[in-house]
Amino acid sequence: MTKLVIGVLLAALVIVSQMAFTIGEWEQGMIVQFGNPRRVLREPGLYFKLPIVQQLIRFEKRVLTNDARTAEYLTLDKKRVLVDHVSRWRIADPLEFYRSVRDFQRATARLDDLISARLRQETAQHNFLDLIREKRENIMEVVTRDTQEAAKSFGIEVLDVRIKRLDLPQEVQASVFARMRAERERIAKRYRAEGEERAREIRAGADREREVILATAYETSQKLSGEGDAQAAAIYAQAFGQDEEFYAFTRRLQAYEKILGRGTTLVLRPDSELLRYLQSPTGQQ
Amino acid sequence: MNGRRTPGNFPSGDELFEAVEDLKRRAREFTSRRGSGGKILRLIPLIVILLWLATGLYVVGPGERGVVLRFGKAIDQTEPGLRYRLPWPIDSHRIVDIAQVRRAEVGFRTATAMELGRGANAGVRTVPQEALMLTGDENIVEIHLFVQYRVQDPVKFLFAAYDPEAILHTTAEVALRSAVGRNTIDYTMTEGRVEVQEQTKSALQMLLDAYQTGLFVTEARLLVVDPPNEVRDAFHDVVRALEDRDRLVKEAEGYREDVVPKARGEAAQMVQQAEAYKAQRVIRAQGDAQRFLQVLAEYHKARAVTRDRLYLESMERIMPQMEKYVLDPGQRDGVVPLLPLKEIVAAPTPDKARLSQDAGRENP
Repeated sequence: MTKLVIGVLLAALVIVSQMAFTIGEWEQGMIVQFGNPRRVLREPGLYFKLPIVQQLIRFEKRVLTNDARTAEYLTLDKKRVLVDHVSRWRIADPLEFYRSVRDFQRATARLDDLISARLRQETAQHNFLDLIREKRENIMEVVTRDTQEAAKSFGIEVLDVRIKRLDLPQEVQASVFARMRAERERIAKRYRAEGEERAREIRAGADREREVILATAYETSQKLSGEGDAQAAAIYAQAFGQDEEFYAFTRRLQAYEKILGRGTTLVLRPDSELLRYLQSPTGQQ
Repeated sequence: MNGRRTPGNFPSGDELFEAVEDLKRRAREFTSRRGSGGKILRLIPLIVILLWLATGLYVVGPGERGVVLRFGKAIDQTEPGLRYRLPWPIDSHRIVDIAQVRRAEVGFRTATAMELGRGANAGVRTVPQEALMLTGDENIVEIHLFVQYRVQDPVKFLFAAYDPEAILHTTAEVALRSAVGRNTIDYTMTEGRVEVQEQTKSALQMLLDAYQTGLFVTEARLLVVDPPNEVRDAFHDVVRALEDRDRLVKEAEGYREDVVPKARGEAAQMVQQAEAYKAQRVIRAQGDAQRFLQVLAEYHKARAVTRDRLYLESMERIMPQMEKYVLDPGQRDGVVPLLPLKEIVAAPTPDKARLSQDAGRENP
């Protein structure tokens, strides 16, 4: 009796395990009967299917990432750029997804094709500089919108397409570096020239200041000297003017004392004024 | 899934233990009544069932959050502690650490202990394909971005996006490159650094929310914003040039500091000298005038005598040093009035020079 119960239980278990299955929070499923889709299971939970005739296909429900490899594109101004893109997507309609692309690898390939084509088209319409600056967001939006539209037919909902890297090819990088170097050299030269400029300005200013100071001082000193000379002259004139003849006399005597002296030979006549008493006590000639 | 455990949904741990105890008691009664022997065999299914039920116990550690799934559907989140769920295949659980601050490195990798042990020199290794990026003015800059984040929503983190932490890494790169692409290299490297950082952080959080990663960015920091190796010298030279500029200016200012005060000193000296000259001139003139006036007063008292006296005194001073000849014009036959020019020419010239100098000074 017990053995029978156990046997029945085991059989039931085997059958149930064949029929019952769970769909996780992270997945969705589809029941296929002889290759024909029968049911789409979106919500997580416990489900049943017919054993053997029906098959379960599971799909991801989470947001998936497609990190595409870098490809080379051409811009409007004929520059080559390396662009890669990341798209986030999820399987919105397992039925469509299964019909059109079937699995993850093929879905990725199809998405890649779609996005690359659209990106190529967009990059070709913009100049390189716009591409790296303001147009980047716009392009991503346009590509996202168009990809969303196109991917609907695969049962895929595209959340967004983002440009991750937007770089120059290796050989162009060298010229960018050269340009950057030239740019920096220019700036460095400018700084040094500016320094020179201001230094010269300051030095010249200092020199000018010095010259002005000295000239002003010269002016003052000359004025003072002149004043001294003038005052002295006035004093002399005032004093000596009281007896011009006497001044002439005394001043000449002073001058003689200086002019004449050792080495001067004087020939005197005995009848000169100085020697007039030499020959006669009366001074008579 | 929303809300904590709902009563009656499944038995709590305590109720279950009571049930287990009850079963044990009954089993004991059963065996003691019927005696031992093959009866032990009857207990085996019971033990199996008990063990099966016990697999529903699990521990949620501190800082962790448990998520209970019933047939794959998230029905509950549990707080730290000893928890119970129904055993497999009905329920299952996942545990997520929500307190731990996780870190992502973009553009560089911190060397692991193993790498350091192998003799890697620095603690940080640059990853050029991540670190080098184009700026808005078509330059290339090297940036290391460091992101700290934690799990905010365990259910989203587990089930809404595939590999959320990988998403974070690529999205951080997207956000960073987009922010750097909007700005110039100089701005990014200097005053715009914080702004680029903020732009990156907010863009990153926005995208992470859009992708339902359940992650929250606590910090995004630009660790390194440098020119690439190839052009680093040129950038350093700009810094040197800046210093050169300041040095030149400082030197010139030093020159000014040196020259101007010296000039002022010189000027003051000139003025003082002129003042001295002026005073000296006036005082001397006054002296001369006084002397003259004194003598003049006496002269006026006795004109002839004073005049003669002065004259003779002067002669006395002059004459002794001179060579003198007294010639009588009447006796001209005996002496040839020859002027020996040679001697005069050979005679001391300094005297002459001094005379002319003195004459110039004496005569105003």
